[in-house]
Amino acid sequence: MKKLAVFAIIVLIFGTISPSLVDGAYAQNDPSILLRIAVQADKQIVNELDGVYGDQIPNNLQILYDKGHGAVYSLDESLPNDIEKAKQDFLLAMNSFMQISRIISQSSEKVVAVTVSDTTSRTLSNELDRLVKYVKSLETISKKYDVDTESDFIKIYDLIQELRKQDNEVNVGIKKIKIILDYIKNDIRESALEQRSDFIKRFFDRSLNQVDEQLTKAQDNGVDQTQIDKGHELILEIRELLSKNQINDAKVIFVELKGLMENIGYSIRIT
Amino acid sequence: MASFIEPIQLKQSLGDDGILFVRNESILDTMVKTSLLVASMIIVAALLPIQSSFSSPRDLDLIIYPDGSTHISTEIDIDPFLTDYELNLFGSTIDNLVVVGDNEFLLDTSIMDDSVLIQTFGSSSISIDYDIHDLVSKQGRLWTFSLDSPSTFTLLLPKNSAIVGMINLPINMEIINDQNQLTLSPGKTEIDYLFSNTISNSLSDTKIETNYFPYAIISGVLLIILIGSVIIIRTKQKNHKSIEHNQITKKNTTLDLETIFKLKSDLREDDKELVKFIFNNGGEALESELRKKFLQPRTTMWRAVKRLEREGVIEIEKKDLQNLVKLRKSMEGEE
Repeated sequence: MKKLAVFAIIVLIFGTISPSLVDGAYAQNDPSILLRIAVQADKQIVNELDGVYGDQIPNNLQILYDKGHGAVYSLDESLPNDIEKAKQDFLLAMNSFMQISRIISQSSEKVVAVTVSDTTSRTLSNELDRLVKYVKSLETISKKYDVDTESDFIKIYDLIQELRKQDNEVNVGIKKIKIILDYIKNDIRESALEQRSDFIKRFFDRSLNQVDEQLTKAQDNGVDQTQIDKGHELILEIRELLSKNQINDAKVIFVELKGLMENIGYSIRIT
Repeated sequence: MASFIEPIQLKQSLGDDGILFVRNESILDTMVKTSLLVASMIIVAALLPIQSSFSSPRDLDLIIYPDGSTHISTEIDIDPFLTDYELNLFGSTIDNLVVVGDNEFLLDTSIMDDSVLIQTFGSSSISIDYDIHDLVSKQGRLWTFSLDSPSTFTLLLPKNSAIVGMINLPINMEIINDQNQLTLSPGKTEIDYLFSNTISNSLSDTKIETNYFPYAIISGVLLIILIGSVIIIRTKQKNHKSIEHNQITKKNTTLDLETIFKLKSDLREDDKELVKFIFNNGGEALESELRKKFLQPRTTMWRAVKRLEREGVIEIEKKDLQNLVKLRKSMEGEE
């Protein structure tokens, strides 16, 4: 029995520690990946240097390139036996190439730094591609809940096709699609709420019971009586809305109740 | 005055300078209840993964579009007893946000700068999809992707893009639809890339290498298994054939059962069974085989074998420190 207990303890200790061991142990599944990336980068940097400077590569860039290229060569030599050295070589090579590419991009004429969050820099086709992805995910959810939105989705896909053909007023078209999608989202929510109303009601019920208890404690602790009364009123209101199956309205009031509870120093968490 | 040794347990009190030494060999057993320790370890071990898994992305996949916008898909295990969950987004310019809970239940969300408040209402796992425009910046022709990720993630780079710099080691790289997909570790990641048509050739070269490597391993393993199976089957067939051959040969060389039993009509029934088995086994069998077959103790079988030897039915040979029992090729009284 004692031996069994000791064995169980060892297994448990190992079981507890092992995830951290695994985390620390994972590395490159295939170290040759490092070489492939580095070689690719090396080729690209050579193209860039040729394209921009031809035969007159500035000295600082040549030194950086030699350093990076040497690291790629060393990386090739290190594999497959010396993985640690290979990793260092990879990082050295990629760092050198990164510096070169940044120097080239800064020294180019008419360089403009652009953050992609600037809407003017986004391309229409990419914007539409992302929109299609969004539409498809909503379509999948809507099918799951049998929401009658088929005609809306047909309309949206037609609009996207039209937008792909035209150059102007695209943003107007996208906004139009997004308005339709907002309606669809509401329909999906309504339908899903109906189908999962029992689950949500049970969840609310447990939450409200807990809030009720917390309000009693708060009262005992001398919290302002008007806040306590307001809390009880909100609970009653939510229960009434739930009894009428007005779950969305109940959710709105619940958010208000949650805010009130936080104001008096209690957070809602079902236990 | 008689002196006696007073048991220490019986002492009412010790002096001010008295030091009490208690020898207790089972101190561990006394202080630590093993069963309690095991139970608590089980609880700790069970809770640790749950604690660490809550709020940490189970999957995190990023797709960079050619214009630098990024699509993020992530799945997060959350505490099902919470009413809502606040998730930090990777930026503030968010588009096309869809959050679904258990059973693809569309959840209500409100975005606040670079975070989103999700009304989870009992969901234990949520999946989040959105587009973000803060992760990639561009200077001249150079694009830079930056992210401080809380977990391991995959990053699908646009078509015809070539990585020209990165600050950390990738875990893996695959080619999916002519696009590089990197698997990267948690923490800060910075990747510089350029668009180039010339790189597409080297990408396809890489693709061939990447795709065929696992297949080559699998094929190799299958080939080894196949060859092994063929060798085993052939060896078995060979053995079987040689046994059959031996049996045929031996059948020809030993007397048939009818003759043996006619010549030795006074053999015991259990001895006759032994002879039958040896005959069917090609005219010979190890004594240990006989013991196993007839489930007899060593001494009983030894006596039976000796009896048959005395009768002149069998002869015993030593083979690898074992007794090999063979039917005699000829017997006394044979015509």
